Parts: sequence; C-alpha cells; structure tokens
Amino acid sequence: MLIDLQPSNRILEEALRERFNGEAEKLQLKVADFDGVKYRLSTPESKTVLNISMAMRCFGELQRYGADAVLRREYGDMLESTPESGFDVTVRVDLQNLPQDKESLVRKLSLLKRNALAAPFEIAFNAQLEGRDSELMTIHYRDEEAYYIKAQHDRVTVIFSTIFKEETDRIFGKVFLQEFVDARRSPATQNAPQVLYSPREPPMELRGVPGVQESDWVGYVTFVLFPRHFTGPAAEGCISRIELFRDYLHYHIKASKAYMHSRMRTRVDSFLKVLNRAKPEQPDSQKEKKTASGKTFKRS
Amino acid sequence: MPAYHSSFNDGGFRAIGNMALLPIKTKIRGPAPPAADPQQDDIIDEAIALFRANCFFRNFEIKGTADRVLIYLLLFIQESLGKLSKNPSQLEGQRTLQTHALQNFAIPGEAGFPLNAMYEKPANRNDADTLRQYLSQLRQECATRLVVKVYDGDRPSKWWMCFSKRKFMGLPNVGTAA
Amino acid sequence: MTNLPAVVIDNGTGYTKMGYAGNNDPQFIIPTTIATRETPSGNLAAKRGIEDLDYYIGDEAILNSKTYGINYPIRHGQVENWDLMEKFHQASIFQYLRCEPEDHYFLLTEPPLNPPENREYTAEIFFESFGAKGIYIAVQAVLALAASWTSGKADQTLTGTVIDSGDGVTHVIPVAEGYVIGSSIKHIPIAGRDITQFVQQLLRERENSIPPEDSLEVAKRIKEMYSYVCPDIVKEFKKYDSEPDKCFKKHEFLHSVTKKPYNVDVGFERFLGPEIFFNPEIASPDFLTPLPEVVDTTIQSCPIDTRRGLYKNIVLSGGSTMFKDFGRRLQRDITRIVDNRLKHYEVLSQANINKDQQIQPKMIDVNVVSHKRQRYAVWFGGSLLADTAEFYSYCHSKAQYDEYGPSIARFNRVFASIM
Repeated sequence: MLIDLQPSNRILEEALRERFNGEAEKLQLKVADFDGVKYRLSTPESKTVLNISMAMRCFGELQRYGADAVLRREYGDMLESTPESGFDVTVRVDLQNLPQDKESLVRKLSLLKRNALAAPFEIAFNAQLEGRDSELMTIHYRDEEAYYIKAQHDRVTVIFSTIFKEETDRIFGKVFLQEFVDARRSPATQNAPQVLYSPREPPMELRGVPGVQESDWVGYVTFVLFPRHFTGPAAEGCISRIELFRDYLHYHIKASKAYMHSRMRTRVDSFLKVLNRAKPEQPDSQKEKKTASGKTFKRS
Repeated sequence: MPAYHSSFNDGGFRAIGNMALLPIKTKIRGPAPPAADPQQDDIIDEAIALFRANCFFRNFEIKGTADRVLIYLLLFIQESLGKLSKNPSQLEGQRTLQTHALQNFAIPGEAGFPLNAMYEKPANRNDADTLRQYLSQLRQECATRLVVKVYDGDRPSKWWMCFSKRKFMGLPNVGTAA
Repeated sequence: MTNLPAVVIDNGTGYTKMGYAGNNDPQFIIPTTIATRETPSGNLAAKRGIEDLDYYIGDEAILNSKTYGINYPIRHGQVENWDLMEKFHQASIFQYLRCEPEDHYFLLTEPPLNPPENREYTAEIFFESFGAKGIYIAVQAVLALAASWTSGKADQTLTGTVIDSGDGVTHVIPVAEGYVIGSSIKHIPIAGRDITQFVQQLLRERENSIPPEDSLEVAKRIKEMYSYVCPDIVKEFKKYDSEPDKCFKKHEFLHSVTKKPYNVDVGFERFLGPEIFFNPEIASPDFLTPLPEVVDTTIQSCPIDTRRGLYKNIVLSGGSTMFKDFGRRLQRDITRIVDNRLKHYEVLSQANINKDQQIQPKMIDVNVVSHKRQRYAVWFGGSLLADTAEFYSYCHSKAQYDEYGPSIARFNRVFASIM
C-alpha cells in the first residue's frame, strides 16, 4: 500500500547499506529530498571515510531551537562541528570502525532530516510535560510556508500554513482539509489529534505574529496534540508523521488528480467508441459513378 | 557469417556423383587417395572440429563437392553420439561405433538416403561400388577418431553428449534405418 | 530553489533508470512493472476508499506477483497504458526519489519514432497531475551519443550511429547533428531476453541439476557473469578442448525454495550466447541478418554526405552491449563488409577507365566506441545534459504549458542546434 510516506530517505538508506556491506570506493552522490533538502555523500579524504552532508533552508531557525543538541545526541562523535561548505550539517562515518549493528546505523543516518526537524517538537513536548507554556516557535521549512509550534499547559499546538499555487490544487486542498476535520466524528479515529482548518485567516494563536499571511491562497491547519499522543514511545512516531504532513497532503492531492485522469481516459475511450459507430451512410446515388468513357464503377 | 564450409571445396578432387573423393589419413583400405600431408587436417578432422559449431545452423549452402562429404560426416557423427547416449564405457563405445560404421547403410540414390535431393546418383555400377567403399572407409575412420575425442575418462564427456539431441539442418539420422 | 538537481528518468521496456542529475549512476534501477489489484468488474466508478493507491512497482511488484496482477506498461519502448504509467511515475517520484515535483525540473526519455501524441500525454501527466516546474523529453539515441563523449576517444559530436540493445529489442539509430534520421532506423528482434532464453535452452540440454523454476534466473546470471564475444566459434571450440581448465567454469547457485546449494558447469554458452547477435540463425529460425550487416545497411540508407560521420562514430548503449569484446568484434565485421564493398567498387570502376588513371576510394574509417557508462548510457547522457546551466532554458516550463497547452511538448530543441 502506498498510503504513507516513509520518514527515512530511501536513496540514503540503500547507498549506505551498500557501502557498509561492500567494498569501500570513491563516492560522490547528490540527492534531493522533500521540502528542498539536499544531501551529498562523498569521500573527500579517503575511501574509508564517508561524509554525509545536508543542506536545509530552515536550519538556522532549527539551531535556535536546539537542533545541534538533538543531532549531537543522535549521532554523537560522528557529527562534525563545522559542516562542509554550502551545507548545514555534516556527519562523518568511518567505514572501518562500524558498530556491530550496521542496520540500525543505516536507518539512523537516513533519518537525518527528520532528526534535525525534531528539535522544536521535543522542546514543546518537554515543556508541556513539565506543565509550562513555551514560546511560539516558527520554522520556515519552505519558501512561502511555515509551521508554528506552541506548548500550553494541557496541550501542544502545531499550525501549518499551506499554500496552493494552482487553482485546482486549492479546491482539492480545501476539500481534503475539510475532511480531516469531519473525520473526527467516525469512531475509528477518536484517538487521533484534533484538527482544525481555517481557509484564509490565521487562527488565534498566530495573531500578531510577524510574517503570517492572509490571502486567498493560504490555508491554516491546526493540530492539537494531547499528552497521550506524545508521551513515551509515541513521541517519535508522532514527530515523524507531523513532519511529513505537508508532503503527505500534496502527495494525496496529486494521487487524486491522477485518478481523475484515469477516469477521464476511460470516459474518452467510451466516447470514441460511440463516435466510431456514428459513421454517415453513403447515399445510394453516390455508390455508383460514371467515367467519361461511359464505364461505370462502384465506390467501395 | 553463416555455417562453416569445408576448406577442401576448391581441391579439384575426383568426384563420384557430386561427392568428392577426398584423401584421408587412414590405414583402412579403400578407394580414398592417401592424404597429401599427414600433418594437416583431413576432411574427418575438419568434420569433427566443425560439428559442434555447425549443429546450430539450420541452413547450409553447399558450395562444392567437398561440402557434401562434410554434411555426410556431420550426420554420421550425430548418429554416433546418439548411440553413445547410453553412456557405455570406452571399450564398449568403441565397439558400438565400429559396428554401426560397418552396418548396411544407404548411399546417395537409394531409398534410405535422406538427402537425395542434393546428392546425385552415381553414374554406374562401378561408381556406386566405389562410393560405397569410400563411405564405409570414412565411417570407420571417423568412428575411431570420434571415440578418442569424445571420451573423457571412461565415460563420454558431457560437453559432447549435449549435442546429441541437436539436429543439424533439422535432419534425421543418415544411413541405418534402425 | 533552482539549485536543486533536476530529476532524470529513463523508462525502458525492461527497466526504468532514475536518479538525480549530476550523478554518475542512476539511483534506482527497477523493472518497469506495476502490480495492481485486479478489479472485479473493471468498473472504475465502483472504487471505494483508497483502492487506487493499492499497487506496487518495480521489484516489489514482482515480489507480490502472487496476489496482485502484474502489468508491463511499456512495450517495445512505447507506453501502452497511460493510467498505469501515471501510477508508475507517481510511485517513483514519491516513494523512491522522494522529491516534490513542484520544485524540480524533469528530464524524460522517449524511444525512436515516438508519435508526438505520446509526448503530449507525458506533458499532461507531469504538468497537470504533478505540477512539475519544467520537463524536457529527450530522444534516447541522442543521450547515448552525449554519454559517449566521456570515452575520451571520440570528439564531441552529435553525429553517429547508436546501437541500443536492451532487454526487449535492439535498435540501430543513425543520428546526424542531433537529429534522428527516422526513415533509416532499423529494429532487430534479438536482445537480452533472447540471449537468456538461448542460454537457458543450452543449459537445459546438458545440466540436470537446475530446477526448472529457477532456470531462467540461472541463465540470466550466467549470461551476465561469464559471457563474452569470441572472434570465431570453431576456434573457440578448439580452445575449449585444448585448455579446459581456463575455459570451463563452475558456479554455485541457491535453490529458491529449498535453499540448498547446487553447482552448475558453465561451458560453451559463454560464447554462444552473445554469438546470436552475429549469427541469429543459431537461435531463431525467423530472423537471419547478423548485426554488422544491419548496421551497414542502415548507414547505406542514410543521406550520402552523412555516411562517413556515421561509420566513424558507432556508439553502443544498453545492457546487452556489455559483453566483453562486443565492440571489437562488431568493428572487425563492419570493417570487413565496408572494405569488401570498396574493393568491389574499385574493380567495377577500373573496368571503365584507362590503365593509367587509377582511382582509389578513400578508406572509410569504422570506429565502434565503447565506454564505461555503456550500460546506462542513456541515463548517464541525461544526467550530463541536465546538469548544465542551459538545461533549464531548453525545458518546457509550466508557465508555457499553462499558456499554450500540451502541444508545446511536440518539439524539443536539440542541444547542439544552438552551437
């Protein structure tokens, strides 16, 4: 089933797995990920030392919210203090000193983007668990879109601002997001976080925040997370899923457009069949023609 | 490049019907002329060498009288491999093939010969006899050399036996209708 | 975000190669298969929920072949089923490459003699469903030529004959100054799959230890690991008789079901497999023309002023040209044909001229170019081109599509025409 997007980067995973289990070779790989994130895998100094670098638009903001600490916690010594030029994070892996469990290292490294984005979430969760409010954290992860996180005494609120450049996308988006709100009513999704959608105006929490837009193209989606969503082991999954929300939304919008296309094609095919049946009949007088010399011939 | 032809085609040898009477290096008596050069390959060596390659071809253009001898030998080799498919020991294999070589076989022009379309009948009784003796000579000599090539240890080598099922030119076996 | 690398996707009949521009190898090489749930009545309107997302592509499709129905959306290089193709692209962009199509430019490939309508359909899919920033649809032969520039031997020209041999079919495509000479393209129905089947047949006649359900897979592995092109099969047989240790090989395989190992001897199929390019009748009774002859006929059917350039730059691309010494044998055979013809001309023209005037035709230089990136030459050429700064100006952009419609995709500018 292709309903979910994975939080880890598949290309990184496969490239790393190949390197860890195989021969050391020179490598120079350029990869892109969702939301304009770029990776580069290279072996600048020697074949046995692999550099994985990531460039992310919002890394400056993430650093303010403690991304460095999170990355340090996840990758320990492998994290380089100064990243390669043009990139924001560099992780160095020594292929000759790999730990026993190579698979989990592969997985951890391919979650580089997710881990970097996790920092503000963790701050908010911790703040809420301690019972205090946190500041409103803003992360501009794309050119014109951002998400905002705020912890309050009994909940954590995450607000996405989404932009749809295309008219059709806007309509699809509206319908989708409306459904999110309505889906709460079905019993199966009672435990999911509450979702609110406001098409033009930013919600209350964002009043007065600089850079918040208000126009026809913008929509705001609010997730309300309660403690049961992010205490203990649920926190990791929660962060991964929320990070991918925008990509998920756009993926499904495109999937529905593709589905529309296939419906259209079937319809066109059936119309063509009807058209092909509708051939005008030859009037009898034209069936037989005469040439100048008097011979007659039939038009087949 | 199409199938491989005999290099003796331009030899200018005497022909009976349209099969050339090529020289062979043999001690068996018969009408074949003695080989010109004992070091060079004669037609039988050629046939054995070209057999495996030619097995794959279905079309064969006859370029000369020697080619007909070649074809005959190729079909004979195929038949022999068929006889060896029961994996006899070397001695037994030798005996089987020699028996097969001496058996009654058809010559061009007779009913049992499969390639009558491409082979001419010998002109007269004498020629027919000579041809029969010649073919018999070829068969015996070929059988002897084949055993040497095919046997690897005491059993036929599988690198030869795999060709026993292939039909050169899609033709059934030549000679003995057994 | 124009500093994001462009995405290069090469959809072939057998395999799809995709990845980001600027890299040497494609990131993903997956079979062009898609496994969908068989709809009970075929009625799309009866869809409930998210059934249209219930499908797999590539290797996962083959793994799930027992429960899903497998489809091959591309046949003989051309797309046959656009619905499935759209789904295939969707999965490859979101599951494999993980890129947001609205941020990237795409370079796609098309087979020779592709009707312009197919380009329009492709543009429709990419601009309307995915909202791509821009697309460029390149002819596979031209990309293969661009890839050959890295071999260092040829000068950088877009004139040459491309021999593209993949899994399903082999094409011989003459290209002059970046434009494909469509009327001279020839197809040969012999390709990777036929060689595998031939090897399978040979193995079946000889080896008893191979279980029948694995035999195709075993044949494929042996073909890829041990095959090579020999200069002459009779000499090769002799070589095998005289030096058996060097020539015969053994390989160990694992039974797919019982997981027990078994050994397979590898022998004559090593050189007989690729030989069917040069002697097709050993494998197939229908097709008899060897590859060097087809190449020669193709070039002779091209305009006369292009022929020297076409002989001089014969480029190989595709997985089935990877056999060792394939280029050498091809060059030798084509040179032989060309030289024979020139001698023939010489003889014919001497008959009419005085003895003192000897006209010698200038020898034609036949050159077959092999290079390291041959296997994915088309993808690699695409990666090279998409990495240049001019690429973005050649693409059809979304704005143009919105303004003029899908018909803009009918023509794609060839890179060299500007230089």
